[in-house]
Amino acid sequence: MRNCSLRMVLALMAPALVWAAPNPRLVLPEFSALAQKATESVTITLDSALLAMAGRFLNGDDPQDAATREILRGLQGIYIRSYTFDKDAAYQQSDIDAVRNQLTAPGWNRLVQTRSRKSQADVDIYIMVANNQATGLALIASEPRQFTIVNIVGAIDLDKLHKLEGQFGVPKLDIDVPKAAAPKPKK
Amino acid sequence: MSEDLESRLRAALTPVAPDDEFTQKLIARVTAEQGSQAHARGTHRRGPTATAWWLSAGVAASLLIAVGAQHHLQERRETERGLEARREVIEALRMTSQKLNLAYEVIKSQSPSPSPSPSPADDKPGV
Amino acid sequence: MNEAAAGFSDEQLVKARAGDSAALALLIRAHQRSVYSLALRLLGTKELAEDLTQEVFMQLNGNLKSIASNTHLLFWLRKVTSFRAIDQLRRRSRIEMTSLEDEASLISPAEGGDPLLQRHLQQLLMELSPPARAVLLLRYQEDLDPVDIARTLEMPINTVKSHLQRSLGILRQRIAHPDRHRCEDEST
Repeated sequence: MRNCSLRMVLALMAPALVWAAPNPRLVLPEFSALAQKATESVTITLDSALLAMAGRFLNGDDPQDAATREILRGLQGIYIRSYTFDKDAAYQQSDIDAVRNQLTAPGWNRLVQTRSRKSQADVDIYIMVANNQATGLALIASEPRQFTIVNIVGAIDLDKLHKLEGQFGVPKLDIDVPKAAAPKPKK
Repeated sequence: MSEDLESRLRAALTPVAPDDEFTQKLIARVTAEQGSQAHARGTHRRGPTATAWWLSAGVAASLLIAVGAQHHLQERRETERGLEARREVIEALRMTSQKLNLAYEVIKSQSPSPSPSPSPADDKPGV
Repeated sequence: MNEAAAGFSDEQLVKARAGDSAALALLIRAHQRSVYSLALRLLGTKELAEDLTQEVFMQLNGNLKSIASNTHLLFWLRKVTSFRAIDQLRRRSRIEMTSLEDEASLISPAEGGDPLLQRHLQQLLMELSPPARAVLLLRYQEDLDPVDIARTLEMPINTVKSHLQRSLGILRQRIAHPDRHRCEDEST
């Protein structure tokens, strides 16, 4: 009887335990209404199998391919949604709220928040950290005629991302990975 | 503005001709190659017996090829999928880098620099 | 398609396929500008462009029997030139090709040409990845639409559009803020 109760309690707790485990994979909406309005839409969905397959076709002798392969090592997924419109204000910030709300979940830390009145480009970069290792990255870039959401899942080594400088035009971001023990407070 | 830039791009990227000397050499080389191919075809023309022999060999080879074709097709599909995945990875990293660049530009304009930046007050980073 | 290429008929193609040297010479004259210019702007030097142009036409000669029409011929030439050039660029360092002397010849010396645009375009061509450069050239040199570019380069249409959008964006930004980019260029 006692065993039975324990099992029942564990069964009831299981979903809560799963929910509590931070998941760096965001649930990206379809954005089908926006896709219809957009002049260009880019949808990239690369799971671990596709990343592994891509890795086999990267030439280790080529510096760009070698850098890409280094970055892919440890990644479990790359997911991108990007929509471009032919006029300003074709999308609402509320369209992205479904994604932003997920970034308030435990585990996510806002690493960078930039607001540029000049270019009217807002960029928020979030990172999920476990055991002092970045396990997920989310980037939301909102411009007057474009918004882009990037979600990278897996062991992201920011040093390796830095090494991309000059390969894909990635700048050196002078930012540190926040430690899991002392995450940066969210705004 | 966009159409204007595009038409200016078209004008700037009008095809250019190679040197006349190169064209002459190119034509001479390719037509000479064409001639030698025709000559080779002529001198290697086979009689009916030879043709029959090649035909049998061809049929045998076709059987072997048919067996290997399925495997080859499978491999080719795999290759195509792999190359497609590779392109998408590179595209994804390029897009990510572009957006990181946006953030970086704002951070850079805020960081103290020996050279004065135009109007840093406009940009607000929060790191 | 340039005027010379438009003047080459399917009938002449049939003759070239049948081994008519005069028709083959006409074919080369009709299409060499397009092949050479693609090669030049992708590879960055006249010597490499000439070598590649020769290789492409030699390969065409071996494959002429499989070319069904002039449209097919154009598609084949653009595809083979782009792929061979991209392969070459991947094999060697990009830095090799940025000799200033060679760069000067990549852009058409159009009458009344815009020197600012030419300078930035030159710079952009050098900086873009080989596939992105091929996309830009097929769009504005060869006047292909994104669908045909995607078919030629065996690339997803969205990737083609992204390359175009990004390249135009960079160019537009540089033209709007020439000084800022000059400073950045000098500091790198």
